[in-house]
Amino acid sequence: MSETQQLKTGQLSDAALLEFHFFMRLSREWELRFEKLFRTGAVAKWYSAVGNEAITVPAATCIEAGDALFTLHRDSGAILRYYLDVEELLPGRVPVSQPRRKPGVASGELFYRLACQVLGAAAGFSEGYERSYHYNVIDADAELIHVGMISHLGAMIPVAAGAAFALKRRGSDRVALNFIGDGGTSTGDFHEGLNMAAVLRAPLILVIENNQYALSTPVRQQYAAESLAARAAGYGIPGARVDGHDAEAVWAEVGRAVDRARNGEGPTVIEAVVQRLRGHSEGDDSHLLFSEEDRKAALELDCLRTFEGKLVERDLVSRDYLDDIRETCARLVLEVADRALASRESEPEAGERPIYAD
Amino acid sequence: MPTEALDDRTSTYLEAIACALREEMRRDSRVFLMGQDVADYGGVFKLTQGLKDEFSEDRVVNTPIAESGTIGMAVGAALLGERPVVEIQFADFVSCGFNQLVNVAAKMYYRTQLSVPLVVRLPSGGGVGAGPFHSQNVEAWFLHVPGLKVVAPSFAEDAYVLMKAAIRDPNPVLYVEHKYLYRREKGLLPRPQDVSDESLSRVRAGARVVRSGDDVTVLSYGWMVHRCLEAAEALSAQGVAAEVVDLRVLAPLDDETIARSVKKNGKVLIVHEAPLTGGFGAEIAARISEHCFEHLDAPPRRLAYPDTPVPHQRPVEAESLPNPTSIAQAIRELHKW
Repeated sequence: MSETQQLKTGQLSDAALLEFHFFMRLSREWELRFEKLFRTGAVAKWYSAVGNEAITVPAATCIEAGDALFTLHRDSGAILRYYLDVEELLPGRVPVSQPRRKPGVASGELFYRLACQVLGAAAGFSEGYERSYHYNVIDADAELIHVGMISHLGAMIPVAAGAAFALKRRGSDRVALNFIGDGGTSTGDFHEGLNMAAVLRAPLILVIENNQYALSTPVRQQYAAESLAARAAGYGIPGARVDGHDAEAVWAEVGRAVDRARNGEGPTVIEAVVQRLRGHSEGDDSHLLFSEEDRKAALELDCLRTFEGKLVERDLVSRDYLDDIRETCARLVLEVADRALASRESEPEAGERPIYAD
Repeated sequence: MPTEALDDRTSTYLEAIACALREEMRRDSRVFLMGQDVADYGGVFKLTQGLKDEFSEDRVVNTPIAESGTIGMAVGAALLGERPVVEIQFADFVSCGFNQLVNVAAKMYYRTQLSVPLVVRLPSGGGVGAGPFHSQNVEAWFLHVPGLKVVAPSFAEDAYVLMKAAIRDPNPVLYVEHKYLYRREKGLLPRPQDVSDESLSRVRAGARVVRSGDDVTVLSYGWMVHRCLEAAEALSAQGVAAEVVDLRVLAPLDDETIARSVKKNGKVLIVHEAPLTGGFGAEIAARISEHCFEHLDAPPRRLAYPDTPVPHQRPVEAESLPNPTSIAQAIRELHKW
């Protein structure tokens, strides 16, 4: 049993907190870099995950190799956390609480292919046939099971429940972690998927990243219920509402849900409420519809700044360390993005893409 | 037991499907069934009766009334390498799971080169006064979608072989099974030594000439093949030789066999039970016009259900369905060209 697992019901270790920080910062720098590239026209479309790091990174920390991850478009934090081994990227620099991947699976290669993917390059996971995070990578040897965004949103949930059910059928204790937004909770598949997962006791953890807007539509025009977590009661499963800016709180809730799922106790819904900082996608103006109150709140609620403040306050790190990690992450991202961009210069011509598996 | 083939392997169309399911479940532990009432109840047509007792409820999974949830779960399980077979209670209800099929399952391989080995069984068709919500032939909805395979067996032996091929195929396969044929159509199931591994391993384009003739080609699938054969038999006494081609697999379509017969006879009738407009006959007629035009002696002709829902009144339904008389009439008219 890994250290992180042992700690689930208690406090996070210092090492785990620093690891969170590294991946939250890496995700932030990733976002900032590709946002810039979007503005140059090098990226087709960009949906900012800035502000979601305190949900995605801790949640993905609760799963391991062999567990299945289902993500949407603001989940770079979860993807980076699930794919990468910090020790491989930066030997000796950041404490490691838990080895991420099996030995032999190159984090660097996954990092590079992810950059190629969001740039639409041929070396990306979908070989340029799919945009941004709409791709899958399932590698049995690497115990990597990642299903990327299905744009019909709620449609992800039954698929994730089915993957969870398959893992259970095999007698393993592996689980599926599925992210959905507040918008996706209004689809029929949200109901069908969760209900079936509950009836079949599929080991599914559904994390709702409630950023309070479906594109431009505020939650008051989306649902009349007090909370989305409260819906869990209707399926006979636990639901929890948590502050999505609080990495430790998210980690504790998701950790409990993962434990339940591994113990055969079925699915859990976790609603992590977060303030959306940006438009729906970069380049749209939906954020102009935010209420004055929401806009003010957004300025004050930067989960990464809050988290870094806590680390300094607890005397875990210095400001110099934080600057150093920021610069290091920015460099890692810059390098990988540049390599991915360069790969587009010499791509093979796209051949005929088969529609059927052979 | 309806799911056991008789010793001499004479079986109904329904038993042929059940027999294939049972044999594939014995052969491969990844194969499992999902659907409404499929476990203890054996499905509303009793096709899966006895399977839960043999294979346990982990492999014959009752689902809530949730077609989208069920197909979506099957896609998720298939992505991880399982081999789910979903029973949609009536093909009419697959509309509730449409998105999971046409957007999630069908496009998965093209998008990500990951296969979705999934079978969705669609008990289809009318002829029994089941009315607008329980009589439809919905295959054309899906034939417009790249990435899905669609089979529509007419005979018990094909129902058996195509179910095995559908289960072993790494792609999503819609298995269009005709309710009218369930207990009326009987045939001799092939013995293992009579079927090549190749034909069982994948759903491949494969039309079959089920009656030879040198005057008019008749293309059909499902129940209507039987009616086309009746019409051809009646016409032979009048000196008209109709060649009946059972398409069997609609996607991918066997263009070669179609073209060979059409080029030989120069006259072609396409018969299906689904409504005329936008039906699969339109696509076949278009392909023939494009690729066999210089061989045609008459315009390709279609005979199909009128563009209306299927009514409950049996006489109205019976009159609307293509039947041996109307098929024979259409063949005669083509023959006169």
